[in-house]
Amino acid sequence: MTKSKSVLWRALAVLFCMSLIAAACGDDDDDSEATQEPAPVTTEAAAEAEPAEAEPAETTTTAAAADVIEDTQDGDLLQTVIDRGRLNCGVSGSAVAFSETDPEGGLKGFDVDYCRAVAAAILGDADAVEFTSLTAAERFTAVQTGAVDVLIRNTTWTQGRDSEVGMDFGPTTYYDGQQLMARSSQGFSSSSQIRDIDGAVVCTNSGTTTEQNIADAADAAGVDITLNTFQDFDIVTTNFINGACDIVTTDGSGLVGRKAKQQPDDQEWVIFPPTPISKEPLGPTYAQNQSRFADVVNWTVYATIIADEKGITQANANEMAANPPDAEAERLLGGEGELQTAMGLAPDAFWQVIGQVGNYDEIYSRHLNPVGLSREGSANAGWLDGGLIYAPPAR
Amino acid sequence: MAEMRPVDIAAASPASQTAEEAVSLPPEQPSTPPREWIRQNLFSTPFNSALTVVFGLLVLLTARGLLNFTFSEEREWDAVRTNLRLLFTHAYPEEQYVRIWVCVGTIAVLAGLSVGLAATTARGVSVKRLSSGLMALGAVVALGVVLREPSALSNADGSVRRNDSGVIRESFAEAMVDRWGWWLAAALLATAGAALWFRFGDERRRSTFVPSVELFMGVTAIVVLSAWVYPWGHYAFTDGEFIAEPGRTVAMSTKLPWTVMWLLLAVALAAGRRLRQAGAGSNFTLALNLCWLACPFVLYWVVLRDPDLDWDRVLSVDIPLGVLFAAGGAAVLWLLTDQRIGELGRIIAALLLGLAAFNWVAAFWGWYPMLQKVRLSFLLVALAALLAHNFAGDRSKRLRLLTVWAVVMAVFHYMATLMNSPSSVETPTEAFVGGFGVTLVVAAFTLLLSFPLGVMLALARTSKLPIFRVMSTSFIEVIRGVPLITVLIFFTIILNLFLPDGMEISVLASAVLGYTLFSAAYLAENVRGGLQSIRRGQFEASDAVGLTALQRTIFIVLPQSLRVSIPPLVGQAIATFKETSLLAVIGLFDVLRMANNVIPAQTEFLGVKREGLLFVCGVYWIFAYSMSKRSQRLEKQLGVGER
Repeated sequence: MTKSKSVLWRALAVLFCMSLIAAACGDDDDDSEATQEPAPVTTEAAAEAEPAEAEPAETTTTAAAADVIEDTQDGDLLQTVIDRGRLNCGVSGSAVAFSETDPEGGLKGFDVDYCRAVAAAILGDADAVEFTSLTAAERFTAVQTGAVDVLIRNTTWTQGRDSEVGMDFGPTTYYDGQQLMARSSQGFSSSSQIRDIDGAVVCTNSGTTTEQNIADAADAAGVDITLNTFQDFDIVTTNFINGACDIVTTDGSGLVGRKAKQQPDDQEWVIFPPTPISKEPLGPTYAQNQSRFADVVNWTVYATIIADEKGITQANANEMAANPPDAEAERLLGGEGELQTAMGLAPDAFWQVIGQVGNYDEIYSRHLNPVGLSREGSANAGWLDGGLIYAPPAR
Repeated sequence: MAEMRPVDIAAASPASQTAEEAVSLPPEQPSTPPREWIRQNLFSTPFNSALTVVFGLLVLLTARGLLNFTFSEEREWDAVRTNLRLLFTHAYPEEQYVRIWVCVGTIAVLAGLSVGLAATTARGVSVKRLSSGLMALGAVVALGVVLREPSALSNADGSVRRNDSGVIRESFAEAMVDRWGWWLAAALLATAGAALWFRFGDERRRSTFVPSVELFMGVTAIVVLSAWVYPWGHYAFTDGEFIAEPGRTVAMSTKLPWTVMWLLLAVALAAGRRLRQAGAGSNFTLALNLCWLACPFVLYWVVLRDPDLDWDRVLSVDIPLGVLFAAGGAAVLWLLTDQRIGELGRIIAALLLGLAAFNWVAAFWGWYPMLQKVRLSFLLVALAALLAHNFAGDRSKRLRLLTVWAVVMAVFHYMATLMNSPSSVETPTEAFVGGFGVTLVVAAFTLLLSFPLGVMLALARTSKLPIFRVMSTSFIEVIRGVPLITVLIFFTIILNLFLPDGMEISVLASAVLGYTLFSAAYLAENVRGGLQSIRRGQFEASDAVGLTALQRTIFIVLPQSLRVSIPPLVGQAIATFKETSLLAVIGLFDVLRMANNVIPAQTEFLGVKREGLLFVCGVYWIFAYSMSKRSQRLEKQLGVGER
């Protein structure tokens, strides 16, 4: 009897010790967490076999079982990014010229450069970006949950998306619009209209708004078309080359790229109608009610446009900062009367953007000219040249 | 442990001994002359002749189509050559690329040692088959040369010349002359075959065997050496030009690294054989198998991930925690292995399990914060405590248990620390390995984790305790009733919502988790089939000699049942490997997504998709086929189906 009793006491003692350890561990964690930076968060700890270890340092928020969405809205996103030292930017990773993955695994493109521009403005380093490649289905959830700070993934700004919970849209960086492409041998020209496509087999990729747009346009013009959809636009193009489709339709930027790269020698492709059948303004998207962060993203875009107007380029940014052509350029590049400090940025934030990434025209021509998209005469020309690219004054 | 036991048994069994010494070769088949064979098998009746002709033509037409597709001037194989790095490792940084080779090298060394150490039961290929095979291969190459349509003529700028009726091609005679390189290859193969045939003059000498290992090493040596002659390897697209082996770093090239890998394999093979001759015992095999088990973890978390340890934290938090739990757990185990403790021990174990479970429950309400690994450590302590009574005994036995416990705790806390440290490998996107690498990582971890889970589920399903039986059966039936893609989407999207506040799990981790559960459910059914093949007598006999349930399961039941279930288990493993391509759907950049979405979106290779897909098919096929070959060898070694 006494023996088993002593065993019992020893057992209780051990249990007591274990609970002491537990308590001590909890405290340990509190301390370390307080001193630690935002923690080597999960993104690095990829591929954990066991769920638990995916978590670097367990949370310390004991109260406030805050909803994730609210959580991102509570804190100041701009400050969060500055503290983190990296901008999380959502891109596609497989969108020609906008965000493509090069053979070394790096990302490049028009959207990618705008991510880098925002990072240059906030952190002074265009390379301080962590890209997340998102599918079309994932992208809005990623913004709403705060998985990415800003989404620049050829996303069309629409009323529905803008009023949706958790998202706001920035200024348009590229004006796109749905067009059609056909063979000139079938009697089409670049001035053809929707009413000319009666009886044609029209192909597009499924699950996008292009399908609805072309059906609506055909209805409005009173023509009959056969609409075939395929899984993605590569397959659509293959069918177009083989002659299974008379006409293909998607955003104009996509069609121009396909024409430049895939038109066979024995075919002549034409893109029409001159006025697109839909409006697709593409631009950055970020979390709702983060006005400080929103200001920074918006004015980064505007800064590249103003720099284009003033002729400030990557090459002459230093020179221009030293001898600014006018007062607006001086303010923009961080000279006297600069406005960046009030936004929570360094005075030379936009000088960094232009110096490290370039102005609007440079970003555009670097990525979109190689696939045959030219600014001239398009909606993406500057407002002085009859286009829509326009920025409010920096004053 | 359990899976290697049958190997030992088989190695010791007399059946494999005889095969090894090749004492009783199967009776020689009298060989029929080729003409006679063709008459008997292909043209025996008019109907069979018709079938042969029709289907022969079909095969030839298919081959012609495939050849025309592959060698067409319109194919842009540069898309694959330039993107090899993307296809296999995604964005793994150039300056750290040597780490990839360290991984390949480690696997080569382990494979070489394993093959060298294994008792070879297979005799390989006879010289006769080898020489006729070489000659046949030469004939196939020659046939291919003739079958393929003449090449298209090209303009000065490299584009294909056309007229109104289509592409302009060279004449048949010109094409045959132009393909002299292929003719040469065909002639070389046929000559090599014929040379072998005459070198080994008589029938008796022709039936000497070339061991398959030597054959494999020879073929790979030729492939590796050919890379020095013809630049198969990495290409770069720079300033509008394709450049072979841009040679920024040695690790980025193909020639030298692959040569080193081949040499490592050869040296390890030789070392393995030397060890076997020197009589390295089963202890060495055990150590080697443990290395195989540890290999994915070490390669992934230590070598590839290159954790950036925060030494202040390691010294102040991680090491003390590890020591505390090792000591605390040891105290508990020492107490519970005391033979006098009786039923009280089980109560304490149950209380510990309750405490561990409470830690997890508390996490959901955020009651008191605690490092995740502390919760896991508590769980491990509780599990060890539950099993402790099996190891009750004298002092040395108890001490051995404590040693095992200390090792487990050390490994666990080491791994947890590694996982919690940020990686110092810098890539533009979050995942540091992608492409085929992610396929291998997911397949390796899924198989490694789902095997023990599957065995446990199978045991639970055949258990006498209704609660285990019901839990396991319902789990298996639910998972098997749901498509894999649903499970993967569920885990990647929904799982994060169920996790405690502040805890997040990466897409890759949740994919591995979901995939493990899925695969385990299927493995469990395969293992259960094996369990049911064990006859009653085995159970009764083990009861009669007084084995505990645990001992009976480990030493009697599992070795026999696992041996029986090898064919379905390997089938499941191959299916698991291939189905990793579903990862592309949940947004991971695996090799299929690279070929299907990423490469066709590059400005240089806009819309170039078919080449990449064909290449990916080839890569998958090579791996799946070698797995299936390996399993055939294993079945032969273990004599599955012979009893």
